[in-house]
Amino acid sequence: MRRREFWVLVLPSVIVMFGFMLVPLYRTVRWSFQKVEYGQPGTSVGLSNYTGALTDPRLGQATLFTLGLTVVVTAFCLFFGYILATLVNQLRRARPVVLGLILVPYVLPHVVGGVAFSWLFDTNFGGIFNYVVNGLTGGALGDPLWFTDVWPNRAVVALNVIWYMLPFAMLMILAGLQGVSTETLEAAEIDGASPLQRHLFVIIPSIRGVLGFVLLIFTMDVLRVFDSLIPLSPQAVAIGNESIMLYIYNVAFREGAVNLGLGSAISVLTILLILVLLYPSIRNLVREAKAAA
Amino acid sequence: MRLLSPARRTARLLAVSMVAASLALTACGAGSRTGAATATKVACDFTNPAQPTTVNVLAYNSSAVDPYSNTMVSSCTHDNVTVKHDPIDFAGQVQKTTATLGGDTGTYDIIETYSFVVPDLASRGKLVALDDLFAKHQATYKLDAIDKSLRDAMSYNGKLYGLPMQTQVLTMVYRKDLFAKYNLQPPTTFEELRAASKTIQDGGDMKYPLALPWSATADISTAYKATLNSLGKNFVADDGKTPNFDTPESTKAFTEMKSLLPYMDPQVTTFDQPKVQQQLYNGSAAIGIMFSGRMNDLVQQKNTKLYDQFAFAAPPAVEKGGKQYGALSVDGWSIPFNTKVDQDLLFQVIAASVSEDASKASIPAAFPARTGLDQSASPYAAAAEAAIKGAPPAEAKPWVPPITSATTDIIGSVILGKTSVEDGTQQMQTAAEKVLAEQ
Repeated sequence: MRRREFWVLVLPSVIVMFGFMLVPLYRTVRWSFQKVEYGQPGTSVGLSNYTGALTDPRLGQATLFTLGLTVVVTAFCLFFGYILATLVNQLRRARPVVLGLILVPYVLPHVVGGVAFSWLFDTNFGGIFNYVVNGLTGGALGDPLWFTDVWPNRAVVALNVIWYMLPFAMLMILAGLQGVSTETLEAAEIDGASPLQRHLFVIIPSIRGVLGFVLLIFTMDVLRVFDSLIPLSPQAVAIGNESIMLYIYNVAFREGAVNLGLGSAISVLTILLILVLLYPSIRNLVREAKAAA
Repeated sequence: MRLLSPARRTARLLAVSMVAASLALTACGAGSRTGAATATKVACDFTNPAQPTTVNVLAYNSSAVDPYSNTMVSSCTHDNVTVKHDPIDFAGQVQKTTATLGGDTGTYDIIETYSFVVPDLASRGKLVALDDLFAKHQATYKLDAIDKSLRDAMSYNGKLYGLPMQTQVLTMVYRKDLFAKYNLQPPTTFEELRAASKTIQDGGDMKYPLALPWSATADISTAYKATLNSLGKNFVADDGKTPNFDTPESTKAFTEMKSLLPYMDPQVTTFDQPKVQQQLYNGSAAIGIMFSGRMNDLVQQKNTKLYDQFAFAAPPAVEKGGKQYGALSVDGWSIPFNTKVDQDLLFQVIAASVSEDASKASIPAAFPARTGLDQSASPYAAAAEAAIKGAPPAEAKPWVPPITSATTDIIGSVILGKTSVEDGTQQMQTAAEKVLAEQ
């Protein structure tokens, strides 16, 4: 490829990357050291936004909540995503229909899905979940306060995130399963490996890279959970179910109480947190890429 | 014929499945621009500008505001002028107002404002004073029929910054069938409100007969302010320097609010006005207090089978002899300081949307700002008028919005019982002192 052709092909991506990633990142970092109001040039405040963020107990609570949600959702989706992918992989003619249905939550806008999901638990809008579970258990569930009690609300939020993220995990793992060598599986079967042993010692090691990729994406996505909390946790701040992104939104934009400087400082801290959490996954991916080369 | 490998076939199936699901779902949500086709047409006779001109309007969608914005779009889009209004909710309007007024250039040429925010925006030079334009077009659009007290509510330091379109006032709705069943009268004090709620609750008709919009992230602040105002206090003392949150009235406001909790859904701190409406639609509540713009929805047969069971009254006072648990909000149109469109043209667009014909057409969905209109078609007009007369005077000061923002979460925490009344009032006092120091 000639140098000119190379730049013609690469330049649009470079411009887009610069415009949509580096410029906002630069502004965020700069604002994190300033007191900023919309449309006005910021004034330097040194590290006070960072000290303000780090001494605010809400940031600690939001970080704990978000990390807990990430761990629970990721573990659940990896486990059940694998099982679901294995089951879908057995299907033949019904596979497109089943996949289409499973993917509906994934393509639905989160806030729309969140509103619909909240109605399942809201007696004002039917509260079908309570109705069905109480019907099946003879009223054992009762009337939990899904939106005002801490743990019931956490359960609703986690279920919603699992609902829309599980299809992605399933889809990725299903793609990985397509690449597992049938010869190796047949050899393991001939050697007397049980179905469980074939999964544990043949299939899972074969798709380790895919699982690592799913882990990476889940860490990034669930750490940034935001819009589904608007309908599902209307008093997230009061009950300690505020995610980091919701905290940033509340600080930087809500109700006209704009504090873009503090919001930017929390954003920078969040980027650092995500990088720290992703480091092991990225390192493994790089190692595997080098080994493959 | 070329045969596909299993992997390629699977990939193709996956792609088709995803595309089909995406198309089906995005089609469901497609297309929802404000339907101005059915709006009232009124005269909007501005001088045609030489160049094609687009007027962008920012106004939240509600059954009370829509008649005015729809009239604006349908009546004033002609010749070289195109009026554009995209659907948005109230929270979106609040954010976009902040953004569009932030710099020297903005996105919008006309913005919906309300008496709560006008002093703050006007004091910061974000709105155009309308007095000269009002005087120039007063006769053409009969603007003197717009209630003077409502114009005052949209003024700051004696200058008009918003042309009123309609009034929203806290109004009480109750189930007349249940009130008749238990021989109850519309409550005029919180004590009577508690007694009526208890009677209905004890009668077994419903677990939680009282429905109030007390969402901990927004509406709770309006509720606290209404309670405090009813007890005779504003957020800040008349000296403009001393917050009133550590006064006995502030403590009493919380005590009175908490005394209503046994009669309300335990998750009331998640209820905004649409959810209160839903409770009333469902028949799971018998008494509600909301802004008047929500009332007409309750008597629509398409919304609820109880549509003919609702009656309306002014809200009760917290204490006997006190002002009502009331809040008066005037909605109107303002011109942002950074618009590039001719201000005379913009004012005429605004004036047309609140003209006599447009205001008549907004009844009963809205309670127009114009006087002398026949409101007999409005089921809640008499209650709203009584509520306006009995409402505490508005605290039209620039510090009210920032103090509201700074204290809302604390109020929610006190009502939820996570913060004691004593600690909460002290925290609010500190937060308000900080706001006032920055003014």
